[in-house]
Amino acid sequence: MKLLTCPLNGLRNITEFTYGGEYHPMPDHQQASSREWAEHVFFHDNAAGVVIEWWCHSASSYWFLAERNTISDKILRTFPASEIFNQRIDFNPLPELTSTAPSTPPPTATQKGES
Amino acid sequence: MSSSIDIATTALRRSQLYRRHIEMGAVFEPLSDGTAGDSAVVCHYGTNNQEQELTQAQHLGLADLSTLPRMGFKGLGAPDWAAAQGIQLPAQPNQATLQTDGTLVARLSQSELLLASNLNGLSESIESIAKTTQSARNSELPERVYSLPRSDSHSWLVLCGSRAAETLAKVCGVDLRPHKFANGEVAQTSIAKINGVLVRNDLGETLSYCIFSDSSSVEFLWDSLHDAMAEFKGAAIGIQALRDC
Repeated sequence: MKLLTCPLNGLRNITEFTYGGEYHPMPDHQQASSREWAEHVFFHDNAAGVVIEWWCHSASSYWFLAERNTISDKILRTFPASEIFNQRIDFNPLPELTSTAPSTPPPTATQKGES
Repeated sequence: MSSSIDIATTALRRSQLYRRHIEMGAVFEPLSDGTAGDSAVVCHYGTNNQEQELTQAQHLGLADLSTLPRMGFKGLGAPDWAAAQGIQLPAQPNQATLQTDGTLVARLSQSELLLASNLNGLSESIESIAKTTQSARNSELPERVYSLPRSDSHSWLVLCGSRAAETLAKVCGVDLRPHKFANGEVAQTSIAKINGVLVRNDLGETLSYCIFSDSSSVEFLWDSLHDAMAEFKGAAIGIQALRDC
């Protein structure tokens, strides 16, 4: 039986865990292009070597991160997600995108239109 | 006997295992917990007298406490809020502590708590919190505190007696022997392939483990534990034997 160390619950049989996919740093949500978002959400590197992955301890529904070498299948370390996600992210759009009013035309154009 | 079965079948809250209990000749006692309405719990089985059930509990017994009150909370604000309610919290995750009124408080992570009543179905903390939360759901809870109702989602079994650790060794990968797993420790793990929260909560001198698991699969867990207990001559016991321990 393979074993995995859960940062909350300690060393457990691998059958208690569920794989949750590769971890990718999230792009800046205010600056990212559609292409970058699509890469982040749908595409995976599937790299040969050391990768960071999401794992979940099913019995406690605890999600954490693991560094694993995909060539040797050795887990190098596991750590709580709070090591990376240590501050709140508010998904506020850029200020110009929040305004619903039509953009103001340049002053000169307005003056010309009114005259 | 028939009036006892009536209590079990007409009570507002029934254990998911009540048909099993009736088949086994259980004698029920009514329980009014003040939070979840009238319910019934197995007092003892068949013609067992109090002493026989106590002897069984001290050797190896399995009891179903699923109709007793319990609740949970989660969120970054939950530990501070619970402490403000007068609840004594375990310092570390995966530890449990008993309150003065016998309420079991298990800390499942830094910010998640599970509360279970005493063996008379009473708990001052659960009752007072239930009063504030039942009327308006979560709205009266402070920010970053979320209620996790456990009464319906989770069953509550108690496996006790000197052979309890050997029984669990057959169905669980965690070393739960008394010298490795101290009283008050919590293991969130797989028990007979069913995910559950296991709390060592000794009854006096009697080794005892509370098992909280998904209620929809508790019949399987009940049967699996009986299967594992058979080797050590374990049997189902009622709540009175636990009180007598």
